[in-house]
Amino acid sequence: MRRISGWALVVLGVLSALLGLALAVALGPDSRRTTGPHEIDTRTSVLVTGPRVIRWADVQVDVLVEVPVKKPIFVGLGHTVDVEDLVDDVDHVEVTRFRTPWNVSLSEREGERPTVQGAPTALDWWIADSAGLGGASISTTLPDEPVSLAVVSIGSSNLSGLEVTLAYGVKGGFAKGIGLLLLGVGLVLGGRLVVRGALLRDVEPGPDPGAPSDEEITYVFVDDDGVEHHLTEAEVAEGGFDVVDEMQIDEAGDGSAPEPVRPTDPEPGPEHEQEPEPEPGPGLEDGLDVGPEAGPDPQSEPEPEPEPEPEPEPEPEPEPEPEPALYVWVDDDGVEHELTEADLAELEGEYEIVDEDDTGDKGPQG
Amino acid sequence: MRRLTAILTATAVAASLAACAVPHRRDDGSAIDKPAATRAQVTAVYERYREVRNAAAELLDPKPLSTVETGPVLAIDTGAFEVSQKLDQAGQEDSGPIDVTQVETPRFRAYPLWMFAVVRDTERKVNRLQVFERATSVDPWLLVATPEALTSTVLPDLRHDGSGHAVTVKPDDGRGMALSAQEAADGYAKTLADPDADVAGPITDDAFVRQMREVAQANSSLDGVQFEQSWAAEKVRYVLRTADGGALAFITLLRSDRYTVDQDRKVTWPDGSPQQALLEDGIQAGSGTLNYYHQILVSLPGGSAKPRALAQYGGVVQGQVG
Repeated sequence: MRRISGWALVVLGVLSALLGLALAVALGPDSRRTTGPHEIDTRTSVLVTGPRVIRWADVQVDVLVEVPVKKPIFVGLGHTVDVEDLVDDVDHVEVTRFRTPWNVSLSEREGERPTVQGAPTALDWWIADSAGLGGASISTTLPDEPVSLAVVSIGSSNLSGLEVTLAYGVKGGFAKGIGLLLLGVGLVLGGRLVVRGALLRDVEPGPDPGAPSDEEITYVFVDDDGVEHHLTEAEVAEGGFDVVDEMQIDEAGDGSAPEPVRPTDPEPGPEHEQEPEPEPGPGLEDGLDVGPEAGPDPQSEPEPEPEPEPEPEPEPEPEPEPEPALYVWVDDDGVEHELTEADLAELEGEYEIVDEDDTGDKGPQG
Repeated sequence: MRRLTAILTATAVAASLAACAVPHRRDDGSAIDKPAATRAQVTAVYERYREVRNAAAELLDPKPLSTVETGPVLAIDTGAFEVSQKLDQAGQEDSGPIDVTQVETPRFRAYPLWMFAVVRDTERKVNRLQVFERATSVDPWLLVATPEALTSTVLPDLRHDGSGHAVTVKPDDGRGMALSAQEAADGYAKTLADPDADVAGPITDDAFVRQMREVAQANSSLDGVQFEQSWAAEKVRYVLRTADGGALAFITLLRSDRYTVDQDRKVTWPDGSPQQALLEDGIQAGSGTLNYYHQILVSLPGGSAKPRALAQYGGVVQGQVG
């Protein structure tokens, strides 16, 4: 199941990355595609897009309309019901079909009035509008409702020489494309981890009591003193232990208490005892050296440092004794002389211990 | 831990992307329509209405009202302002808080657009049941009907479409009701014009009918005066569907009272009354006419029940001698 989920994530990630890449490449850093200027041949004063010509929503559009000799011109985007009423009975040109990048069909609509009533700039229902001399432009996101674009020549002039430049895209589309690309890469990597079975274990470290297939392995090492030490799988793998006995405990079964696992007998090699680890890892118990604790990613573990030459082993003491006491003799000049316990024994009778403090220092009796 | 962080980051990116508006093609269906107004537009309309009306009241000049009212409402309010001017009475400013308790914005495929709102007048303890209309895309929103009901009057529940907008009814559509809205308007005019109209007719003897008949009876009882009253119904334009399959119709009636006074008689009206302001010298040895507009909100129940007026607003709009 994990494998299937992992591969599904990988496939999803690849698709997401491809989609994001395509989006970013198609739109470019400015997140839009531009076409124009395109000339529209008309002598009327009004140009509108017909109902259902603009059928996309949430698309960022920029429209620039230009006319020669600085004629006053208006461009606005409004609800189709409003725009249709505005140009009702007005002589105008209607865009009946539009295909990107620029493929338009125009139709002449005859009316009794040469232009719209009143000033279009005074109307309050425009979603976006602009007016200017010789040119005007709007930049807006298409809403999720039927809309039409209207270009109106203000005053007594008409739209002869009209040129339209159109840009369309997705607001922040380039960034979204990059985001999709990164998301896809992340999904691929995540899917790969899931396939390897490592991901879910990291996310859910605890055992799932409801999952009967999960098997918990416990390693127990009994040292020479008979003390049991629980080891992880990584500690066992790196510590050079051999598993000498295996026992399966049925926790869900008859309720009988699990029997202790027979202690494993470590067989440390001689070099293991003689060569100290450069950096003893944490988790050492009772002097048992199992090496550094395994990290989450065994592959990322650095190569081991070259082992230092073994120091010459000092002659073992016959009987390890506690740290020898230190005696201090102060001569007549006030100079302190340190004496060992052996020195003190040889000169027995010549010195007298006159004081004894917490440090164990003893001074001669002068 | 690093993997968990990566997963959370990826989830956050995915959630952010999912929250973004994704370009898509719309399905506009078979008909393109739009709500009459947004909530913000309704608020703006009311603020503008109040501002202009208060300015008119302050100046005692009805002219600014034409930018926010039209039709019978403008006629009634203009008449009231002219009366106030002649009587040198201060106009009544509406400076209290706007308490719009209900707004209904039906969807329309074409202009005119209109919307219905209930405004509570706490001082007068009435609810104004108002209709604003935008006749064309280049016209402003204008108040076209404003009958008033007591705050205790319960309006029938309205029916709404899937998008939550009130459903309109064609004025001549009487399916599921005893009468269509237009038939009800014509029925009211006919019933009021004929004092002897059959009570078993299509219009019930409601409070509005009784009040108008009492006024007509009082006027016709003047000694030496011939009194004639006529009623006409205007074309019904604003009808909403109610939840029971009936309708709420805004009906406007034009009433004309004609007085023909004998030679030795004179008809006058009390000081301070609108009629006295319009006919200062009264009517003496001749004839005179007073015209009134009455707007009523009529409930047309679903089924066979008779229509019933729930609210009314009216006043004298014109007076002439001769």
